[in-house]
Amino acid sequence: MLLKECYERIGGDYDGVLSRMISEATVKKFAVKFLSDKSYDLLISSLENADLKEAFRAAHTLKGICQNLGFNMLFGSVDPLTESLRNADAPPPKELVEAVKRDYEKTVSAIAMLDE
Amino acid sequence: MENLKSSKKKTMRFLAISLIVLIVICVSALSAFAWVVSKKNESTLNSVGELYMHGMSERISDHFGTTISLRMDQVEAMVRSFPPDEVVATEDTYNGLIEQAKICEFSSLALCDDNGKFEVLYGDALEMIEPISFFNSLNSGEEKVGVARTQAGQKVMILCVPAKYPMPQGGTASALVAAVSADYIRQILALDATDLLTYSHIIRHDGTYVIRSVDKEKDNYFERALENLSEFDGKTPQIYLAELRDSMEAHEDYSAIMIMDNERRHLYCTPLPYTDWYLITVMPYGMLDETLSSLSEQVLICLFISLGVILLVLFIIFAMYFRMTQKQIRELEDTRREAVRANKAKSEFLSNMSHDIRTPMNAIIGMTAIAVANIDNKPQVQSCLKKISISGQHLLGLINDVLDMSKIESGKMTLSVEVVSLRETVENIVSIIQPQVKAKSQKFDVFIYDIENENVYCDSVRLNQVLLNLLSNAVKYTPEGGSISMSLREEKSPKGDNFVRMNICIKDSGIGMTPEFKEKIFDSFTREDIKRVRKTEGSGLGMSITKYIVDAMGGEISVESEQGVGSEFRVVLDMERADVFEKEMVLPNWNMLVVDDDEQLRCSAVAALNSIGVSADCAPDGETAVEMLKKRRGKPNDYKIILLDWKLPGMDGIETAREIHKQFGNDIPILLISAYDWSDIEDEARAAGIDGFISKPLFKSTLYLGLRKYVGEEYTDNGHTDEEIRFDGLRVLVAEDNTLNWEIASELLTSQLGVEAELAENGQVCVDKFKNSPVGYYDAILMDIRMPVMNGYEATEAIRASGREDSGVLIVAMTADVFSEDIDKCMKCGMDAHVAKPIDINAIGRLLHSHLGK
Repeated sequence: MLLKECYERIGGDYDGVLSRMISEATVKKFAVKFLSDKSYDLLISSLENADLKEAFRAAHTLKGICQNLGFNMLFGSVDPLTESLRNADAPPPKELVEAVKRDYEKTVSAIAMLDE
Repeated sequence: MENLKSSKKKTMRFLAISLIVLIVICVSALSAFAWVVSKKNESTLNSVGELYMHGMSERISDHFGTTISLRMDQVEAMVRSFPPDEVVATEDTYNGLIEQAKICEFSSLALCDDNGKFEVLYGDALEMIEPISFFNSLNSGEEKVGVARTQAGQKVMILCVPAKYPMPQGGTASALVAAVSADYIRQILALDATDLLTYSHIIRHDGTYVIRSVDKEKDNYFERALENLSEFDGKTPQIYLAELRDSMEAHEDYSAIMIMDNERRHLYCTPLPYTDWYLITVMPYGMLDETLSSLSEQVLICLFISLGVILLVLFIIFAMYFRMTQKQIRELEDTRREAVRANKAKSEFLSNMSHDIRTPMNAIIGMTAIAVANIDNKPQVQSCLKKISISGQHLLGLINDVLDMSKIESGKMTLSVEVVSLRETVENIVSIIQPQVKAKSQKFDVFIYDIENENVYCDSVRLNQVLLNLLSNAVKYTPEGGSISMSLREEKSPKGDNFVRMNICIKDSGIGMTPEFKEKIFDSFTREDIKRVRKTEGSGLGMSITKYIVDAMGGEISVESEQGVGSEFRVVLDMERADVFEKEMVLPNWNMLVVDDDEQLRCSAVAALNSIGVSADCAPDGETAVEMLKKRRGKPNDYKIILLDWKLPGMDGIETAREIHKQFGNDIPILLISAYDWSDIEDEARAAGIDGFISKPLFKSTLYLGLRKYVGEEYTDNGHTDEEIRFDGLRVLVAEDNTLNWEIASELLTSQLGVEAELAENGQVCVDKFKNSPVGYYDAILMDIRMPVMNGYEATEAIRASGREDSGVLIVAMTADVFSEDIDKCMKCGMDAHVAKPIDINAIGRLLHSHLGK
């Protein structure tokens, strides 16, 4: 799969990210690196451990990555979760977490299918 | 109003009644007082009169007694000097008696026998007036005083002392009688003294007068009294007389008040010693009464005057009190009305608001339903989503207004003051408002006059809000094809040299407003409620928010408006200057020509150009410009660049450009000063030989940025001014906990800016690396906010507090947060600037450029 195609599939802002990073190769390099980024795992495990502070930080980081890489769909579901975790004293609504999980899976699976 | 009237009436009535009651009470109290006083006066006068009469009578009676006893003693002395037992009836004896009598000034001397026959030794012959009783007592051997009449008819008082002298004509006398004139007694007793308050009579037991002060027609006092007395105090004259007689019988004093000859008189009767006579003393009250009544009259007058004064004072107090209460009632009423009005405005606002919220909400729901129904029809779904987005934006605007208003009403709105570029602000606003203006085919202009200081301290968000509110109102209330203008003018500020006064004026040719509405335009929750405005939506809070913000900035806002003609809002703000890299804005000393028909704009542009080092001339129209060019052509002071306004009288900008190219070739760059969006005319302009565009408003920096590319001869034709800036060799520390983010940042910084980036995994590492580096090692720090161990805020504070020479190093926050509170917090803990994620390397480049001056 081509990068542009992949971005379309994951609801990404291909033009935006390309304009920031100039070359497609750079974009692709970082997109692939996203697969090994630990922010998502940290978010999920923190939520399981009910460590809301750490979960917020992880969500925040993930949100930042999404912005940097132009993963707009995932950003769209991470952002509300981040906000619900900001200064939170109760776990976030299940739907928000589920949405992030769903979009993350979609994003990751699309990136995994990129051509070499 | 009814309430006010009725309560006023009530108060009036209450006050009137109280005043009347008060007057009645005062008058009756004073009258009662006067009555009691006069009664008391009378009784006091009576008792004083009685005391006086008693004393008087006693004195007269004592005097009488003393006089009589003295005379008696004289007669007795005569008897003793010629004791009757030894006396033979000789001439010598009589002569001796006569001698003594003369010495004692007796008017007559006589001897009297048992039968009452007088034998006169000296003086006039005497005849007893009341012989029987007299002789009775005389015979019993008592000394006696009586009254006799001389032959001449004069009354004399006779003093008889028992003495058995032989009588000259034979027989023995039983008493020696000496006479004293009644006038003498009268004088002694002062019975007829007219200057006294009183007069007296002496009467006998049966009422006949012995001596009376003034000659009266009657001989008997009782008869006279019966005739002259009137009934008084329930007593008839008879009762008076009976009482008088009883006291006389009992030899007691008698005192009574009576009316005689229509005058109140006091009568006092006391028995006289040596006689059966009684002294009657009378005091007429006439004069006393007069004195007294004049006294009480005066008292009464005084009383009434004081009553009047008291009443007057009371009346004044009442009146003042009344006015005070009236005022209070009115104020209360005003407050109430104000509260009711505010309440009404709020509920009206609520209902308007609900309506306003429902409209876009309905659109959102409806569009969603349509989109769901046509989920496979992509264009339709897109159009639905677009509409939903517009409605959502609108809804958000409304809710933001309400939130702002509630912030304002609860006093929680604060300003965050920072350096603001007026040029950027105006450009932003223009770009926001431009689509709306275009949609309504309105004419929009921005004028900049004499702006020396483009950078000022202000709350940019709030300033934007004010300008946007005013402009979007202008757009909203101006019909299609109308015109809207915004002008900025700088003036000296009265607050001092560090401040500038910004006059912002936003003018439209819209529907205007009624004078009544103009009065309350800045009140909360109002919107002109007439049909033509109904269809225009809005929370009605925009203007009060605007007003509040301007007030909070210490400025003033005013409005001029005429219905059907348009409105003009003026905002005056005093803002502090911020001198930010103005020194950089210098261009070579070119000669330039500015062509614009608006004189003020022309002059303002010339002044701005002069201030950045360009000597500029100006021309009001195309024809003049061509003339001026002709004169300078080929000379050393030939114009280097021409700024042409698009809209000119006569030849417009494009025609002028054509003309210039035709006459002088195309080696002079011509820039078109154009309103805001030149895409419509770009092709035509380029064809006419226009080299570029400069958009209004013409700030100094706008001119500088637009003209900069012509520096050093090698000007290029492309309108892009964003040149690549590189920072080779600059060292930047990037505090970022996420590897991926770090790699992206590092890649971009290195590859695009040539910056050498170093990683700090968290705030703590960042602080440590900074502290362990040589001074000046790092040129800037990019700081993520959310990091483990130590966050960006704390790290910044630690670096700022490190005490190193380079503790003021440029720190730029880099975060996914875009809330203004977060940005505020960044600035507060000492960061210099803020960039949002995604990392925009150009933005960072600009920041580095402006802060590091490279």
